[in-house]
Amino acid sequence: MHKLLAIDRRIIFALVFISVAGPLLAGISLPITPTDEVKAAYDQFEKLDAGDIVLVSFSYGASTQPEMLPMSRAILHHAFRRDLKVVAICLWPEAPGLAQQVLEEMAAEFDLEYGVDYAFMGYKPGNFSVILNMGQDFHSAFPQDQWGAATGDLDLTRSLRSLRDFALVLDLAAGDSIEFWWIPYGQEKYGFTFVAGCTAVMAPDLYPFLDSGQLGGLLGGLAGAAEYETLIDRRGSASTGMSAQSMAHLVITLFVIIGNIAYFAARRTSSEQRS
Amino acid sequence: MIFLSRTLPLVIAFAFGMLGVIGYYVPHGDAQSLEREMALWVRIVFAFSYLLGLYSLLNLHWQRIRQRVAGWAYSLIAILSFAVMMVFVVYNDGLGPFAAQAEAGGYKWLFDNIHVPCTSTMFSILAFFIASAAYRTFRARTPEAAVLLIAAVIVMLGRVPIGRELSDLFPMATDWLLNVPNLAAKRGILLGVSLGAIATSLRIIFGIERSYLGGGAE
Repeated sequence: MHKLLAIDRRIIFALVFISVAGPLLAGISLPITPTDEVKAAYDQFEKLDAGDIVLVSFSYGASTQPEMLPMSRAILHHAFRRDLKVVAICLWPEAPGLAQQVLEEMAAEFDLEYGVDYAFMGYKPGNFSVILNMGQDFHSAFPQDQWGAATGDLDLTRSLRSLRDFALVLDLAAGDSIEFWWIPYGQEKYGFTFVAGCTAVMAPDLYPFLDSGQLGGLLGGLAGAAEYETLIDRRGSASTGMSAQSMAHLVITLFVIIGNIAYFAARRTSSEQRS
Repeated sequence: MIFLSRTLPLVIAFAFGMLGVIGYYVPHGDAQSLEREMALWVRIVFAFSYLLGLYSLLNLHWQRIRQRVAGWAYSLIAILSFAVMMVFVVYNDGLGPFAAQAEAGGYKWLFDNIHVPCTSTMFSILAFFIASAAYRTFRARTPEAAVLLIAAVIVMLGRVPIGRELSDLFPMATDWLLNVPNLAAKRGILLGVSLGAIATSLRIIFGIERSYLGGGAE
């Protein structure tokens, strides 16, 4: 048992690698059942009418892109498929490059016209103060888009005055922007419908806001993205990745169980030897 | 000197603290204009913090290189990487530093093809370390640790499709764990943190809490 406890970590690494790569290479697909919080997010988008304007805030960086990109892709796909207009902003310094990537992808897929169907306002520093600023005067918060065009010159953003002019606000976050910026300084103050997507580790922290109704829906991590892909009936990288994540979780669970069995067995042997 | 080092900061903290509260809660036009101005000021001050952060980062790595401390080569790579990115940002695909950011060019290429894959890879490596750490240290040594371990196993399996394949109980138990004990605990923590933040803010606004001024002697 002591040998089992002192197993070479490279064996653990190899098993994790196999558990992740195996299902991806084999193309294993598992059925995905959407949870209530993801269904709620989906329903918020379904309630909107064609032409309604949605504000999407990108608040994540490259490190969390594997979790957040499939989510961004799935939600934007749903929005554009329903003929919603999207205004994208970034409250995270690393986010503009990532937002641009997914917006360009969607623009190509749906043949969108920039400035009419979507607009990209880029990054502004200030965290919560940008949200306060947008609530009072959107043009003052973002006088120009990412490419230098005046906000008042774009068809989509010309008439926007405040956060209240958006039919829905979505924050895709890997930090504390949902809990500490958008809810206290945005949703609570201006009363818009608010939906969020976040990394898996952040999701449990946000359940009180779902319960209070301040959050209209929540996508947590790759699982949330896969559930959203299931709802919009578009299998993407999140659904593919769930088989790998399933196996990785199973392997880690087995490691925990085996580690505990070995630990207690070794402890029992030691106490028997002492007595 | 006491006026400049003590009284004036306290007056500023009181005035802007009260103005912030008024701007948030009072819907009158003047209060809203004031709040808009203050939000802009915060953003300007915030932008300067990036310069401070940049100076701090570069200075830290420069000192490591100068003193040849262990791993100084990594500091050199950090500074060189910064310099290369900076060159492309300033060049801005031929548009120069004062134009809006170019849609393509060297900076975008470096970001997409070096920064994103490198940072994503670094984060992905966590899975391997978590597995190793879980095997070696996640032990049911006490009843509390056993509860944590069981909850963790249930949530890990309940949040992925294979959990449902194994048993419907996993997603059901996961939902209950997240919506009842987790929600209750998190709500309690949030209320405690918020009340603490309000109390600390009031102490700062009214000059009771002065440790942010630094120093000790009057």
